[in-house]
Amino acid sequence: MSGGKFLSALGSAGFAMILLGVLLAANLLLNPVRFQPAGWGTLMGLAAPLIGAAAASTPVILAGRGGIDISVGPLMGFINAVVIQVLFLNAGIASPLVIVPAALLLGAAVGAVNGFMATVVRIQPIVATLGTYLVLAGVTLTILPAPIGPAPGWLKAMAGPISIVPLAAIFLFWWAIRQTPYYDQLMAVGSDDRAAFTAGVPVGKVRFIAYVITGILAAVAGLMLTALIGSADPNIGANYTLIAIAAAALGGVSLAGGRGGLAGAAIGAIVIFLLQSLLTAFNVSTYVLQIAYGTILVLAVMLTAVQDRLAARRAVR
Amino acid sequence: MRADRSWLSGTNGRVAGAFLVALMLHLAGTLLIPGYSAPFAIRAILVLAALLAVASIGQTLVVILGGIDLSIPFVIGFANVVAAQLYGQGWNFGLVCLLVAVLALGIGALNGLISRGLNIHPLIVTLGIGMIVQGLVLLWTKGFPSGSAPQAVSSFVSIGGSVGPLPVPWLVPCLVVLTAMVVVVLARTPYGRRLYALGSNPGAAPLALIDPVRMWVATYAASAFFAAVAGVLLLGFTGSAYGDVGQPYLFQTIAAVVVGGAALVGGRGSYLGTVAGALVLTEINTLLIGLGFQPAAVQAALGLIIVLLVSLYGRERHVSTTI
Amino acid sequence: MLDVALHVRGVSLAAGKAPITQTIAPGEIVGLAGLDGHGQERFLQTLAGLHAPPAGEVVLSSAKGEQAIRTFRTAVAAGIAYLPRDRRATGIFPTQSVLDNFAIATPERDSRFGLISFARRRARYERYRDKLSIVAQRPDAPITTLSGGNQQKVLLARALALEPKLLLLNDPTRGVDVATRHVLYDVFRDLAAGGMGLVILSTEIEEVLLLCQRVLVFREYEVAAELSGEAMSADTVIAAMFGRAA
Repeated sequence: MSGGKFLSALGSAGFAMILLGVLLAANLLLNPVRFQPAGWGTLMGLAAPLIGAAAASTPVILAGRGGIDISVGPLMGFINAVVIQVLFLNAGIASPLVIVPAALLLGAAVGAVNGFMATVVRIQPIVATLGTYLVLAGVTLTILPAPIGPAPGWLKAMAGPISIVPLAAIFLFWWAIRQTPYYDQLMAVGSDDRAAFTAGVPVGKVRFIAYVITGILAAVAGLMLTALIGSADPNIGANYTLIAIAAAALGGVSLAGGRGGLAGAAIGAIVIFLLQSLLTAFNVSTYVLQIAYGTILVLAVMLTAVQDRLAARRAVR
Repeated sequence: MRADRSWLSGTNGRVAGAFLVALMLHLAGTLLIPGYSAPFAIRAILVLAALLAVASIGQTLVVILGGIDLSIPFVIGFANVVAAQLYGQGWNFGLVCLLVAVLALGIGALNGLISRGLNIHPLIVTLGIGMIVQGLVLLWTKGFPSGSAPQAVSSFVSIGGSVGPLPVPWLVPCLVVLTAMVVVVLARTPYGRRLYALGSNPGAAPLALIDPVRMWVATYAASAFFAAVAGVLLLGFTGSAYGDVGQPYLFQTIAAVVVGGAALVGGRGSYLGTVAGALVLTEINTLLIGLGFQPAAVQAALGLIIVLLVSLYGRERHVSTTI
Repeated sequence: MLDVALHVRGVSLAAGKAPITQTIAPGEIVGLAGLDGHGQERFLQTLAGLHAPPAGEVVLSSAKGEQAIRTFRTAVAAGIAYLPRDRRATGIFPTQSVLDNFAIATPERDSRFGLISFARRRARYERYRDKLSIVAQRPDAPITTLSGGNQQKVLLARALALEPKLLLLNDPTRGVDVATRHVLYDVFRDLAAGGMGLVILSTEIEEVLLLCQRVLVFREYEVAAELSGEAMSADTVIAAMFGRAA
């Protein structure tokens, strides 16, 4: 990515960048032990699944016209369950050369099903992926009624500083997509699908591919989740769905489509993670934590909206 | 064939279709499971569907408006716990209900004001506000709500209850009346017509003298109000306060609205359809559990059936037809 | 008689542009012309209260006194109706019926004790259907089942249902077939004959020449020429649009 492109990607995250700086400083100040440089690897491992989930949620949102994938969380949980229970414990497969491609394929397949429903059958995305959400959550609980472990050693090793590897893979993958004409088509479809269609962009196909990309990224996020918890837990994945979408929105990804990017979504996810750790550092009850969390989420999107509005007004003048 | 299609794609067709599906599911249950049509079983289905239908009133309204309300489960939990707690502390129950209603209206109004006023997607706003509400309730009760519902509320929703000669609790006839009222408000009042218009084309609404912010505030307030009603009714149904009692209603209300034939893009939908959708979901649930499926499998099957039903009659238009 | 006049006093369309002062008299049809994006649309929307001008004021005077137009709502309350240009984006409600689309700005007129009487609404619609010769087989079917011209007539009926004293039309015959155009022209002339003032923005010069007694030609957010009578011809209007002397 050229410097200018990178800056413009960050610019769309706008307000989230300021929040990121403030929260990072606050964490360093109030929680120096946890945030000492030696601990950064561990922190990254803790944040990785949410960053992955937010990144995964982004492509379908960019594709516009109500594009959203609420099955990202359950898909992460499903990957987690399949990798540990089916592949590792039942089939005895531990090799990353099998597990990683299998997980990515599964993710792509689920994404393709979502994409098929949203673009060919033309069910509203939120309903289609709600169906997938329920199916995946149900199937996960069926193959894995209770938490179970352990995970293969190499996968557990990805929890700490090594979590940079899957994260880097996600952003390399996205960087590669940005170099292709597909990226321009995606943004065109997201900002105005009618105009894009008239200009000859295959709108349905572009959206379909966005769902597949989301599925693949969700699979990576599922692997990172598995690395972090070092086991399989059927109930943990679904929690990521709404927070991941909130993180993307916080990072400047417009839920109307066509605006934002993976970098912004990642920043949004890091903001949410830093917020959580800051609140935890204050040692307040989980209830206060939840209130503060919700308040800051709402305030942050409100401030982002106000900032956008002011920017738009300035542009008109 | 063509006539069939246009009938199916019309609102009335969708509603009739959803009721037909509910009926077919019930017949299937009766054939497959002994005792499925026993009076008690039918009463249970009606009560469960009625509770879902009450919780879905607000979702129907905001979906017609082109929004979505994820705060419904949190407001249900809020009303459930606050009502029980205050009643347990010896408050007059009428006063409790009034307070809960006023607070709920405030929560909903805030949802609408922030979403429309600042043009932020309601998904994020209602989720954030919902989390705050839940946190406040947890903080207040320290996570252990106490108290119970007055006897009147319990018998109002009790599956064993009856209304004179009718073998159903008061909830069921009251829902029929409430449904009629919602249908009339949507079809025959300036508010109802403006609701559809605003959802249909937000860009044209201000020129037709529709104030979008006012409409969103009023509609989200109504949504939270009915969620609170459902929360109090659920208190009577389960007997004791439980903050997470509303959680299953997060996706179920959306599913009921969608199965009932509303498009989530706004401007379409009917409450009668939602009532049918609530019946369909309750029938599916009861049927699958009766067939011996585990809750996890029931959930998976529910997902499949929602997608199947919506693909039958809830399809969106192709982009080429929108130009 | 609707003795209502609209006064535009020193209105600048953008900062630093020459102020415009005009009066739209009752029964007058005034045309607005200009190359796309030269301020005629901004002027029309300013009259409707949709744009607050950087300088000057728009005032409606009647027997009751003067009323300043600052927002769209005050404009409508004062008796101004506005027909938008883009039918699809800012005009119709596509999922709603013809009747709904007609009555949506004035539902209270059909209401009794808060409930809309469908019979009253239908009766009110029939009056305008006759007047505008709207062709709609089923008024309870979605408005998208009508042709573009008939959709436009329904939107005009919606504006007229406000019983305005002044009508602002933003390119009213855009995408409308020739036969329907002439129906609309007759309607506009009838309305003016009844004492209503009309301001018509049109992208077609022929239309302006045919309908209007007076035309304001816009160039770069200023009134480049005000033409009427003998001086108003296709050549003079075009010359003013391009900023040439005729």
